[in-house]
Amino acid sequence: MNRSTPDNKNELPRRGFFQLTLGWLAGAFAVAASAAGAVRFLVPNVLFEPSLRFKAGKPDDYPDGSVTFMEDERIFLVRQGNTFRCLSAICTHLGCTVNRADHGYHCPCHGSVFDEQGSVKSGPAPRGLEWFQVTLSKDKRLLLDKNQRVAADKYLVL
Amino acid sequence: MNAPLPKRIWQWFTRTRIGRSIFRIGLPESNLERSQVMVSSFLLHMQPAKVHRHSLRASYSLGLGLISLYLFLILIGTGVLLMFYYVPSTEKAYDIMKDLQYVVSAGLVIRNMHRWAAHLMVLFVLLHMCRVFYTGAYKRPREFNWVIGVGLFLLTLGLSFTGYLLPWDQLAFWAITVGTNIAGYAPVIGLKLKYLMLGGNVVGQEALTRFYALHVIVLPTVALLMLAVHLWRVRKDGGLSRPDEPGDIVQQIQLKQLPTNKTYGLMELARGTTPQVGKNPEDEVFAWPHLVFRELLLFLLVTAMVLFLAIFWNAPLEELANPIHPPNPAKAPWYFLGLQELVSYSAFWGGVVVPGLLVTALVLLPYIDRQRKGVGHWFARERVVANTIFSVCLVIAVVLTIIGTSFRGPNWGWVEPWKNAPAVTEGH
Ligand code: HEM
Ligand code: FES
Repeated sequence: MNRSTPDNKNELPRRGFFQLTLGWLAGAFAVAASAAGAVRFLVPNVLFEPSLRFKAGKPDDYPDGSVTFMEDERIFLVRQGNTFRCLSAICTHLGCTVNRADHGYHCPCHGSVFDEQGSVKSGPAPRGLEWFQVTLSKDKRLLLDKNQRVAADKYLVL
Repeated sequence: MNAPLPKRIWQWFTRTRIGRSIFRIGLPESNLERSQVMVSSFLLHMQPAKVHRHSLRASYSLGLGLISLYLFLILIGTGVLLMFYYVPSTEKAYDIMKDLQYVVSAGLVIRNMHRWAAHLMVLFVLLHMCRVFYTGAYKRPREFNWVIGVGLFLLTLGLSFTGYLLPWDQLAFWAITVGTNIAGYAPVIGLKLKYLMLGGNVVGQEALTRFYALHVIVLPTVALLMLAVHLWRVRKDGGLSRPDEPGDIVQQIQLKQLPTNKTYGLMELARGTTPQVGKNPEDEVFAWPHLVFRELLLFLLVTAMVLFLAIFWNAPLEELANPIHPPNPAKAPWYFLGLQELVSYSAFWGGVVVPGLLVTALVLLPYIDRQRKGVGHWFARERVVANTIFSVCLVIAVVLTIIGTSFRGPNWGWVEPWKNAPAVTEGH
């Protein structure tokens, strides 16, 4: 279009150059900040999901040797003698709910098999089932906390 | 001249003031009008006035791209209808599905059409991709249109997957649980991505809301825009690919090679990066009626096929979603069953590495395989290596899908479909 000014092109006045750079930077920053805000917007701050810490009634509600499945929490409460443990029922493979089987647990989705200790016996699950902390609350109720992972041999002993 | 009655009525109408104001050109009678009608109508101007004979050959394209397009249009139509009833709420969604089946007039058929068209679209997009591969149609200058095609393929899968959750039945709930957990295996960002997709840690109301927004507005809009570019490029690349003819030079003039000290008209510029095509006018025919009526006929056939399926087969609806009891076995939609079979060996390799590599290979393909021989023929001898590699991958994918679909029973154990499946034993 304008072919008469090829020489002036390289001689932009210094102030003009700074203002131009600043302007572009400011504009780019505004766009980047909006994009970052949009992504952050999509990350929820409050969840309407069941609490990860909850009471599970009196210890004597669970007979000796029982494995009790709690639906809403998706855990098994395991009692042996005076010991209590809490096992996650969520398959570590892809999140299906495992079923209690004769000598352990069975995942229906892709066939992972876990033993009584929650360790993988066969199937695609990369890790054993999680164990969660069990404590006794002040009012003598079992208190399960799914935030606290523990080793398979940690018991609450009464 | 004794034209059939509808034609005479149409001719009369397009000669009235009102008809003329709408259609400008009536039914074209001369070659001039045949060109004019193509450029003067909004819908028709997306297509060229003349097309190469080779592009019309049904045995070349098999119309697979067009069929995908029509299925997409049917999905938009039926989907919008479903939106008039559907509410993305974990409490209501399932009941509304039941209402659609038993209460709403034609609700069953509309829902069936939407479901079958969705399955068919995945199938036909895949077939279309195979056609493009086996005819070498992704080669220069169509490389980038292939890449856009890969994007459309992924969008098609995304649309199906997000739609799958909406009925909120067992199938929906567990397919999405499994699918989003696969995403969780992606390195570094996996768990964050899963959290973002679900809007939480588990599949619940937040996930349903998000999937709904993606399914009805985000993905369809992106797909429509990409589709517009896809079709525009088919035209700008000189219509469908075809064998090079003697004297038919594929010429790519770079715009920057043109002298810059003169002003160009649009015609001169537009030719810049497109191949010179159809040098021989003998090989071209008018789009009206040759192309337009074929397209219309195909559209009618596709609609009829979907309607037929929808009338005789019902879309599945299992029990209400139950987060406690996964159905045994819990299966993803069929097009993901090959993936699920892989995932049953290893979630990381099957769910992340293999699909990641496949998509990368698809995107890079036209830039890796740059030989220009064998374009425009099915199974060209010059392309035997490429075709063999592609076929092997295809066969593996099909076999895995068939295994996942028919040979997997309770606990993802091996069953032979011709024998009775063993009874499901539930643990608790
Ligand atoms: C939403 C899905 C898609 C739709 C609706 C669509 C539509 C179309 C249509 C209507 C054509 C014209 C020719 C024909 O009918 O075959 C076409 C051509 C083409 N498509 Fe697609 N397509 C889709 C996905 C794909 C995919 C997945 C790929 C490959 C990865 C692809 C690559 C191409 C290429 C390279 C051409 C040019 C073919 C030639 O010139 O011979 N498309 N597409
Ligand atoms: S989710 Fe349990 S084996 Fe895949």
